[in-house]
Amino acid sequence: MGTVVSIELADDLPEPRLRELIESTCAWLHEVDARFSTYKEDSEVSRLQRREIRPEECSADLRLVLDRCADLWRETDGYFDAYAKGPLDPSGYVKGWSVEVASARLAAAGSTRHHLNAGGDIRMRGAAPNGGPWRVGIRHPWEADKLAWVLTVRDGAVATSGTYERGAHVWNPRTGGPATGLRSVTVVGPDLAVADAYATAALAMGELGLTWLAKRVADGYESAAVTEDGRAFTSPGLPVAP
Amino acid sequence: MRRSTAAAVGTLTGAALILGVRLSVQPAALPTEAAPVAQQETEEPAPEGTSAPAKKPAANSSSAPKKKETTKPAAEDKGLKSGTYKGKAVQNPYGTVQVTIKVSDGKISSANATYPKTGFSGTINPAAISKLSQQTLKVQSADVDTVSGATFTSQSYKTSLQAALDAAA
Repeated sequence: MGTVVSIELADDLPEPRLRELIESTCAWLHEVDARFSTYKEDSEVSRLQRREIRPEECSADLRLVLDRCADLWRETDGYFDAYAKGPLDPSGYVKGWSVEVASARLAAAGSTRHHLNAGGDIRMRGAAPNGGPWRVGIRHPWEADKLAWVLTVRDGAVATSGTYERGAHVWNPRTGGPATGLRSVTVVGPDLAVADAYATAALAMGELGLTWLAKRVADGYESAAVTEDGRAFTSPGLPVAP
Repeated sequence: MRRSTAAAVGTLTGAALILGVRLSVQPAALPTEAAPVAQQETEEPAPEGTSAPAKKPAANSSSAPKKKETTKPAAEDKGLKSGTYKGKAVQNPYGTVQVTIKVSDGKISSANATYPKTGFSGTINPAAISKLSQQTLKVQSADVDTVSGATFTSQSYKTSLQAALDAAA
């Protein structure tokens, strides 16, 4: 499944420099694709799947990804599972991680005000173009043109998982069937890969996920969720725009 | 304020392909392979008012169209160019969806989508929306920098509010 990454730099830098920063960011995302895609036969992940290489022979990046997938499997009571579909598929972590790395590299290269939106999952840093926090719309789970919430975030990540875009593609490992109960889950916190994994795990849990999400607030992850019958829930500290 | 936006299709788990790069500072200098995901439509100012009878000025002034054809450079500095942007109409299992946004003074003034009102989705949509509406109305403002939603594919990106935002940048 290919997706689209939108990048916005709000830094007061010369245009050629902005262009370079965007090009290097795109190059990094394409590099991640080449190395981690399960759709590419020669990617490192595909070679590991086929056991052509052993885990200890993998790159430091892939070992980190595998370690974090294992951590998240434990943190989510097994609902975030890189092996949910059988063979290893760390895509659910890789996407957020690659954007986290891209944002950190941009910051190191002098871009302190930017946002990257990878298929609806966003990492932002610094002030928005108008000087305030970034205004992040959360898509209404039934109407593509409406927003269910508007959040304000300066430094952090917003990830949304839902069944409305690609149908029942998230599986509940306990029942072996598609996730039911929740239509959309949004998680806000410091790390995009973690926020994305939490949102996917909560979606897989169904309504039990609402209780589980409430416990993540202590770790700095706020959330908003909509059930399949249209009830909306938010955590108390969700940064809703005034 | 210098801003740049770019959209890269692909990445991560699928076929990679750069869609395009836009720098709003100098749009003319852009590589033109940037596939426009939205078409701009010119807003037609209503012709009434010019030939209106002079005896009823009050009635006409209330419906007088606001002229906003000329896009000032200042508006570009703020980010979004005035105009109406339509996403591509795309068929999904629930029907045809097309997103349209209107931009004026650098901000999104309205956003709309055609979505199926009959058949399967027509029966599930209205009830669900009415239960959510109180939440939705509280934050009706569509003036946002970016949109979070369930992961879209490069295909469904074309219909998304985010694509319309990128097109206006």
